[in-house]
Amino acid sequence: MNGQGLIKGLAITLKHFFQKEITEQYPDVMPELAPRFRGCLRFEFEKCIACGICVNSCPNDVLSFETEKRDKSKKKKLLSYTIDFQYCMFCNLCVEGCPTSCLSFDHDFELSQFKREDIKMIYLRPEGLDEAQDSPADQEEQKDKEQKQIAAMLKALQKSPQKVLSKLLEGEEDINILSELIQSDQKTAGKIAELIVKDKEKAVKVATGFINKDRKNRAQKGENGEGGDKDV
Amino acid sequence: MEPLFINLAEAFTGWMISLGLDPGWAEAVLLVVKWIIVVTIITVNIIILIWLERKVSAFFQERLGPNRLGPFGIFQTIADAIKLLTKEDIVPSAADKLIFKTAPMFFIVVAVMLYTVIPMGKGMQVINLNVGLLFFISVGSLSTIALLMAGWGSNNKWSLMGAVRSVAQMVSYAIPLAFSLLGVVMITGSLNLQDIVLAQDKWWFVILQPIAFITYFIAATAELNRGPFDMPEAEQELTGGAYTEYTGMRWALFFLAEYTNLVAVSALMATVFLGGWQGPWLPSWLWIIIKTYAIILVFFWVKWTFPRIRMDHLMSFSWKVLVPVSLGNILLTGAGIYFCRWMGWC
Ligand code: SF4
Ligand code: SF4
Repeated sequence: MNGQGLIKGLAITLKHFFQKEITEQYPDVMPELAPRFRGCLRFEFEKCIACGICVNSCPNDVLSFETEKRDKSKKKKLLSYTIDFQYCMFCNLCVEGCPTSCLSFDHDFELSQFKREDIKMIYLRPEGLDEAQDSPADQEEQKDKEQKQIAAMLKALQKSPQKVLSKLLEGEEDINILSELIQSDQKTAGKIAELIVKDKEKAVKVATGFINKDRKNRAQKGENGEGGDKDV
Repeated sequence: MEPLFINLAEAFTGWMISLGLDPGWAEAVLLVVKWIIVVTIITVNIIILIWLERKVSAFFQERLGPNRLGPFGIFQTIADAIKLLTKEDIVPSAADKLIFKTAPMFFIVVAVMLYTVIPMGKGMQVINLNVGLLFFISVGSLSTIALLMAGWGSNNKWSLMGAVRSVAQMVSYAIPLAFSLLGVVMITGSLNLQDIVLAQDKWWFVILQPIAFITYFIAATAELNRGPFDMPEAEQELTGGAYTEYTGMRWALFFLAEYTNLVAVSALMATVFLGGWQGPWLPSWLWIIIKTYAIILVFFWVKWTFPRIRMDHLMSFSWKVLVPVSLGNILLTGAGIYFCRWMGWC
């Protein structure tokens, strides 16, 4: 029948008339945000390893940072981290890319500022944060790495001691002595391997010590053994 | 409570006569006072109505509507009115100045004139005309001229387009509007609105004349330029139609007049179809207000439900549906009356 649709329409609007309003009274009542709502981009300085993945993954050149070479090691030291937030399009690529998850979106969405410059967020290196205070995760990682290196060194040492030791010592005789020692004694081998990885100079010293000790032993044995090699 | 206003009026006249005024002059002064009261009521009422429409439309769309100024945002319209009053009054340089300036005044005057004949309670009327209904219809159609003046005077194609549309629409819809009221007139045998109200003490005419009620409602919506028949304004296509060039108070007058018309037409509808001021318990002037507001709410409901109709559909709906139906209603009513007489019921 003609006009049925009109009645239907009136019924629908009437139904909505009595339904609850969906308006959010925003400044008075804060809206409920979904857990993965992307508000303001936050950065945690302590976690960052200055790998640059975030900078590379950002399509809008929002992110940038400054580094300095750490003394002695190859690792970089992060000096400052800048988020020029006005260009961010909240794509989440940087957050996904960061290996140490130091970037994250929080629920703060009131980001307007009076001046354009104020939109830029610059994180400076917090005072008192030096290499010693590397994050525990970082330290553990380093330990792990070392352990692996030591194990590899030990293997190499046991397999071809001459070759490895030639990098450490000079005299051919010394090398021969030490390699014999290593092959006969597990403990010495472990210690030498560890020292090679950790501190070469010390390793040289220790190695020389071992060799001298061995020489002495031999010399004593030689004295004893002049009468005959009974003991051996 | 019932004769409150009548007693007030009598006391006022008596007071003036006691001051030594000629009774004829006292009547004239009373008339002026009545007019002032009517205009005041209209203005205050409009403030409430605009707020109400914004609130109601918001509720239909599950919004909150104005809610900042005062409780439930009731003072929002007052703030808007102040804004409109203090706005710059711009008259386009190419406009026909005289017509441009008189159009809104003409519109509001015509709208206020409608209140002359509406019975606002038992024996409460500005003037008790015995051709009240005819007066209402004829004065009501005069507002077309105001819109045409506005459209022509603005010297703007959108305005003219809106004016042309409004003339076409109002002329087409005035016919079913008048015809649908004829049935009631045939039953009561009078054009006096008080008589029409009194004739409904048993049955409201909405029961005796349901078809007329519906056709009148539709035609009235068109006459009022309200959605879904708001073609003359049609913001999306005509940028406000005849009102395009108007600013500040002149525009506000148009706005005011539209709502004034709305109240007048709703009051007439309540008078003619819903028993006017008749009702139990409450005083009569409260009943007419309640009924008028109920009809206004239905107008709001319709406006915020239906999308705007196309111009050609609008015209063909009037001429091909409403006019024949209202004519048929007259025929049916006449036949019914003769049947009644033949049966001896009336
Ligand atoms: S969310 Fe996207 S645009 Fe914003 S900083 Fe991250 S990668 Fe760049
Ligand atoms: S991806 Fe993460 S760890 Fe790497 S530089 Fe960016 S913020 Fe720092």
